[in-house]
Amino acid sequence: MEVESFLFNIVILSMFVNMAIALYGIFTRPSLIKKIISLTIFSDTVNTLAIVVGFRHAIPNPIPPVVVEIPPSSQYLRLFVSRAVDPLPQALVLTAIVIGLAVVLFLMFTTLQIYRIYGTTDVRKVSKLRG
Amino acid sequence: MLYYLLMALSSLLSIPAIYLAVEERDLVKAVIFSAVQSTLYAFLYYLLMAPDIFLTYIPVGVGLYTALILILIKKTERYESD
Repeated sequence: MEVESFLFNIVILSMFVNMAIALYGIFTRPSLIKKIISLTIFSDTVNTLAIVVGFRHAIPNPIPPVVVEIPPSSQYLRLFVSRAVDPLPQALVLTAIVIGLAVVLFLMFTTLQIYRIYGTTDVRKVSKLRG
Repeated sequence: MLYYLLMALSSLLSIPAIYLAVEERDLVKAVIFSAVQSTLYAFLYYLLMAPDIFLTYIPVGVGLYTALILILIKKTERYESD
């Protein structure tokens, strides 16, 4: 159990490292397209962190939150409650992925329009130009 | 044990993929590194017992994002300036 906890802490820690790198990309890279790529990576990392919160260390292994026995017997329900992961964060993340796709599409068309008007996607050049 | 090992491995491998995607000057290569990161995250979702997210994230993260950003790069500029 000690080794499993250590490996799972590596997962959580690397998610925070990924969040830091993606935020660095959003704030410091000049290209608007690179900012969009970093934003997708950041939203994916936050979604993964939400799913990690719903995970549980079950012995011997966790099972997906799907009831396969209909009607469920009480013995099966006891097994399900003790070993299944939390389905609520998964439902929320499924919504967040689809909304994130819509937001990224909007940002892409904004970037395309900026390129058509100003002729560049570099934010430093765009901020210097007028009209 | 092997289960958690694969989980830690896929999340650790996503760190260099994200770093290369952020640092790369050629935007097409950056999109490809981003797709590698999406594949590793999809595998991580599968290991975290979220099969519905896995089935949604493979077409959205690996397919749609990559294709849309490639179309955007084709219509605008490919290289990021210093």
